[in-house]
Amino acid sequence: MNSIFFTRLFRLLILLLVQVLVFNNIHLLGYITPLVIGYMVVCMHRGTPRVGVLLWGFVVGLLFDMFSNTAGMASASCTLIAMIQPVLLERLVPRDSAENLTPSFASLGFGNYVFYVFLLMAVLHSCFYLLDAFTLTDWPLTLLSILGGSVLTTLIIICIELLIRTRQETTHHS
Amino acid sequence: MRALIDLIIHNKHWFVFLLLEVISLVFLFSHNGYQKSVYFTTANDVVGSAYNVISGITSYLHLKEENNGLEAVNEQLRKEVYEMRQQMKAMQKDSIKRMPALSLKYDVVSAQVVNMTIHKPNNLITINKGEADGIRPEMGVICSRGVVGIVYMTSRHYSIVMPLLNVNSKISCRLRNSEYFGSLVWQRGYADIAYVTSVPRHAPVKTKEIVETNGYSDIFPPGLPIGVVQHVGDSPDGISYFLRVKLFANFPTLREVSVITNYSSSERRELEEMATDPIRQDSVLNKQDKQDKQVIQEKQKDLEEKNPINTDTIR
Repeated sequence: MNSIFFTRLFRLLILLLVQVLVFNNIHLLGYITPLVIGYMVVCMHRGTPRVGVLLWGFVVGLLFDMFSNTAGMASASCTLIAMIQPVLLERLVPRDSAENLTPSFASLGFGNYVFYVFLLMAVLHSCFYLLDAFTLTDWPLTLLSILGGSVLTTLIIICIELLIRTRQETTHHS
Repeated sequence: MRALIDLIIHNKHWFVFLLLEVISLVFLFSHNGYQKSVYFTTANDVVGSAYNVISGITSYLHLKEENNGLEAVNEQLRKEVYEMRQQMKAMQKDSIKRMPALSLKYDVVSAQVVNMTIHKPNNLITINKGEADGIRPEMGVICSRGVVGIVYMTSRHYSIVMPLLNVNSKISCRLRNSEYFGSLVWQRGYADIAYVTSVPRHAPVKTKEIVETNGYSDIFPPGLPIGVVQHVGDSPDGISYFLRVKLFANFPTLREVSVITNYSSSERRELEEMATDPIRQDSVLNKQDKQDKQVIQEKQKDLEEKNPINTDTIR
């Protein structure tokens, strides 16, 4: 229990650092900024208490808000995907899989995992950018940010996932 | 009762979800009531000092552009000094020895930008000076090239500035040559373009004309450069012009800024508040009335004392 807690705390700090130092400075086409902090919620394994998922999501969002002057926007969005994540994961896991399954390519299958990440990221970015713009007057820009952000973040998360998993596999083999 | 408790325990994640969302939205919507929420922004000391370290490292990346800008300003100032000297000489020869002081007095506190966004609709800048350095909300912020924005909230050592690049920013300005005034607004898009609205249609506006602050508000002294007119267009209502302005301040490389600390006068603000506040207006008028009455009474008394005979005869 404690080891899981510290792993998550460590993951939260690393994600926050990378988000603030690197990804907050990316403005693809001028508007698209990936919210990689969503990976915090994506990583939650099956069977985590739902309140726990919600609190982790809220905290990562709140810390992100403090660093980027977006009071409440990211915490509201991350809490929303933290609410959806356990339900979505339950729909996508294969039959007879472990109770504490960690979502990954191996456990969900490539297609399912990409779908899972993209759906969560689409909800996260929609919520975040709609709260940010708060109008529909310049909806093409908002739509561009949402779509671009979701796709880009999904790609980044896939890269992170591939990096971590391949490293783990090589360490196992050696 | 038991069923209710069971229901709550069984669905506690829904309650937690709603609670957290409500907290988030309260943060989001109370962001304007600033002093309270300053801890959840980059003006917070911990986050501010983290950004201070980061910007200390990244500021080297823009040194070259910064230097070029300073060089240009130096050149311009040198020219101005030269011209001023020439004018002074010409004046000394004349009978007028001293010109009345035309310059407006204002002090500045220089600060460094430690965090900034330019791609969002509500962009904000964090600077590394705060209340301890005499900075208060609603003070003007300028850089070597022109106007940057207005201080929005302050903590002890950091302040957040609402730059021109914010859809909520609105600054009154005028055209340098004709002195017609308008207000400068920004639309989401480019980091170097803003728009001037409500300049009347009969104003003679040309491109390449300089837009500057007009000094009607007590935030900026008049005559500070903002930008140059790039395109003259019509507003949708057809009553006024809609001017596209290229801003002088180069936001993407902005590092050094100055906050105008003592231009805004409390006397002026009090006077303006008094004029708009009906209750105080009344009290002021009453006070005036009372004073008048008192003066009249005193004068009457004086008269009576001086001419006791007159009053006697009347009696």
